[in-house]
Amino acid sequence: MGEMNIEFNVNGKQVRVSAEPNKTLLYVLRGNLGLTGTKDGCSSGDCGACVVMLDGRPVNSCMVLGPQVEGSSVVTIEGLASNGELHPLQRTFGETWAFQCGFCTPGMLVSCYALLELNDHPSREEILTAIAGNFCRCTGYQAVIKAVEQAAAELRAAKGGAGND
Amino acid sequence: MTESAIVGQWTAAPGAEEIVTGKARYCPDIQLPGLLCGKLLYSPHARARIRKLDVRKARNMPGVFAVITHADIPGENSYLYAEPDQPLLVVDEVRFQGDAVAAVAAVDERTADAALAAIEVEYQELPGIFDPLEAMQPGADQVVQGEDNVMMSQMYRAGDVEAAIASADVVIENTYRTQWAEQAFLEMEGGVGLVDDEGGITVYSSCQAPHRDRMQIARALAMPESMVRVITPYIGGAFGAKDEAHVQIHAGLLAHAAQRPVHLIRERRESMLTHVKRHPMIIDYTTAATKEGKLLAVKARVIADAGPYTNSTHEVLNKCGEFIGGPYKVENVEVEKIGVRTNNPITGAFRGFGAPQAAFVYESQMDDLARKLGMDPLAIRLLNGVETGTKMYTGVVIREGTAMKASLNKAAEMIEWEKRDQVERRPARHLRRGFGMATILKGSGLGRGLADHAGVVLEMHRDGSVVLQSGAADMGQGIVTVMAQLAAERLGIGMSSVRVVRADTAKSPDAGASCASRQAMVSGNAVLEAADTIRDTLLTMAAGKTKIARDRLDLKAGRLTVDGEPHELTVKDLALRAGIWGYPLHAESLVHFEYPTDVPDVTYRFSQEVFQFCTQIAQVLVDCETGQVTVERLIAVHDAGKMINPGGVYGQIEGGIAQGIGYALTEELIVKEGHTQNPSLENYVIPMAFDIPELEMEVLEIPEPLGAPLGAKGIAESPIIPTAPAIRNAIYDAIDKPLYELPMTAERVLPVPDAGSIRH
Ligand code: FES
Ligand code: FES
Repeated sequence: MGEMNIEFNVNGKQVRVSAEPNKTLLYVLRGNLGLTGTKDGCSSGDCGACVVMLDGRPVNSCMVLGPQVEGSSVVTIEGLASNGELHPLQRTFGETWAFQCGFCTPGMLVSCYALLELNDHPSREEILTAIAGNFCRCTGYQAVIKAVEQAAAELRAAKGGAGND
Repeated sequence: MTESAIVGQWTAAPGAEEIVTGKARYCPDIQLPGLLCGKLLYSPHARARIRKLDVRKARNMPGVFAVITHADIPGENSYLYAEPDQPLLVVDEVRFQGDAVAAVAAVDERTADAALAAIEVEYQELPGIFDPLEAMQPGADQVVQGEDNVMMSQMYRAGDVEAAIASADVVIENTYRTQWAEQAFLEMEGGVGLVDDEGGITVYSSCQAPHRDRMQIARALAMPESMVRVITPYIGGAFGAKDEAHVQIHAGLLAHAAQRPVHLIRERRESMLTHVKRHPMIIDYTTAATKEGKLLAVKARVIADAGPYTNSTHEVLNKCGEFIGGPYKVENVEVEKIGVRTNNPITGAFRGFGAPQAAFVYESQMDDLARKLGMDPLAIRLLNGVETGTKMYTGVVIREGTAMKASLNKAAEMIEWEKRDQVERRPARHLRRGFGMATILKGSGLGRGLADHAGVVLEMHRDGSVVLQSGAADMGQGIVTVMAQLAAERLGIGMSSVRVVRADTAKSPDAGASCASRQAMVSGNAVLEAADTIRDTLLTMAAGKTKIARDRLDLKAGRLTVDGEPHELTVKDLALRAGIWGYPLHAESLVHFEYPTDVPDVTYRFSQEVFQFCTQIAQVLVDCETGQVTVERLIAVHDAGKMINPGGVYGQIEGGIAQGIGYALTEELIVKEGHTQNPSLENYVIPMAFDIPELEMEVLEIPEPLGAPLGAKGIAESPIIPTAPAIRNAIYDAIDKPLYELPMTAERVLPVPDAGSIRH
């Protein structure tokens, strides 16, 4: 099969890769771009380990074909920190033990990040909905919920909105 | 000792930043120049004779660097966990769907797939042996020719069971069945093999036992172990299934054959078809008691479907039998443990090692008994529960058993057990609510008579930073954090000053496998011992320099302290002086777990003697129309001895319960004639976030006196164990229907006995 060029933005950087059109975004990220932070837990859309942001929305990157992201912008786990500063979620995930083995974490974190981008005061229900497709075999999800709540509180405080709680 | 600054505190894991930024490298993330793609060809049949195996076409394909079959293995063609009976690559007969017949290494995935397709195999399908009860019959066709299908049959007896049963007021007999359960660690098994500079083989391995891997790889390559190195990168979960070797041996073989680095990662389907599952068991169980509810005897026959190969069947059945009586005082116990070969999936370690099956049985039976006697489930458990000093039927004396009843009482208090009848039991016409409890024990450590040791190497550099080398694999359970905390605590430095090198057999001493909830104890003690050696040198030097008596000195928060007050000398200053004056700040330790010698009548082989006690209570809602069971509340009270790392302890409990809920309600590999029907995360149903209620937990800290660092004990296995029976008992309470088979799916919950009354 011939390869084709795909141009898109990853974590703020414009990139151009050449890949067979049946390769998934997950494959392109890991194989072509060496962004191995995003994980493969099933290759079939069932685990969420491969979640990335595609044009502002979380998607299973194993279910998206490379050519579909032409001209789009993608954020992966490697892109959550800005200027060397961790996103509050990245810190709270560590502090609350929201992971053990950490293999679900890249996808889980991106799903939670997507939630907080839209909603910095999510209810437990909303957090569960955001991570409903993220399988974690280690933690039982409790600490993930805690980590999101803490990060949300920090984000609100940073915006000066902490007073309305 | 002064109050802990680090031990017992919430602290992020060393490596947390790598994980949250995506930098942590797991086997699939390893990239090397010239890395080939390795693949295995698995059997499409549950049982077949190989009539022809021709790899010449595949070998001659462009881009293919190695194709190997059994004939190309330089050394032993077998895994070696307990018995060398599972081939790495099958010689003449495939015996289950996960048997591998050939391995290839090619320039990329597509070429590797094409090479697999070009391998010519002619199978002659043979009638398989799938029913363990039939396989046990004399004259049954043999799974392995010349070998009895009953691979293990052991009888253990304590007291006089028959006499006790004859004298009992009540006798309850039931047969229980459990399922094949899948560990479903998120990172599939993998290995990266490469030829190293000395001509030896290095393998990156996603495993629980790097030193045992090294032995197995060396054996297969016919190389001295000194020429094989196993490194553990980050590991994405294991739960027992990576205790036994998987493809890391093949990665080594392929790298050796290709003389190039080879990446070998299983796909999810392959993973689910090939690695060991939790043993399905058929357990006949008899309980005898007085009319007051006192247990008199337990009699059990456990039949485990082992699949064709031994794997850890002996160990799993050993633990199942050891705990078959539960955390109860019962003197007359008879347990027969039978492992049977079939052409079904292979079976072995999965969190709890046979104890979850046992607990499902003894805790279900306990509720059946309570019902028969009209007793409260809590009261009957308190009446029979073990205590500190109780001598178990195994002969083991419980050194610290307070937590058995303490956890029961605490859990009952948390859910207001006494008031549970005031809770609405029929919140809607078709809904029934129920409460159930289960309390269990499980040992930590390998068991008496087994080599249960761990070593570490610890070095403090001139700048006060520390490197800790340990062979203990961290699959996510958090041993790296525990070790770093213990070292930091003892040396009076911060966590950020301790670097733990992930297990690497070229650098780290053998710590044995990360299994049986043992590492926090053995490796924990090894770290304390090594840290104390360095601490001693530092304090002796400090005493010399300050002319202050040694026993007034300590190390804390990066400083020397005198009578607890900070002194101007820092640990760094001392480390620098040590470096300059040639005092080595280097320590190695090797710690053996010491079993007490004052228990002459331990009659159970490989008995464990440090116990994890815990109680869980479930509140469930059963939909009588759909059979759907919702876990509304789950209370868990666990004893950790002493929490070194609370984040890790709570994490183990939460994760274990989530697995327990899956084991109870949905998780089951459906195997028909040896063929697994649901080898995917879509069809093997595992709890997702919405399936877990907000867990209500309490951790007791009752210091463990036996071989535990600072009183801490391993707790990794216990959380999964009581969940299924607690849910089962809650369902029984809700719909008045006892279930004897796992998982408790809607089909088994239905029909609900009085469901007629809910319809119009
Ligand atoms: S790898 Fe994409 S959902 Fe599992
Ligand atoms: S932390 Fe291991 S799968 Fe989530």
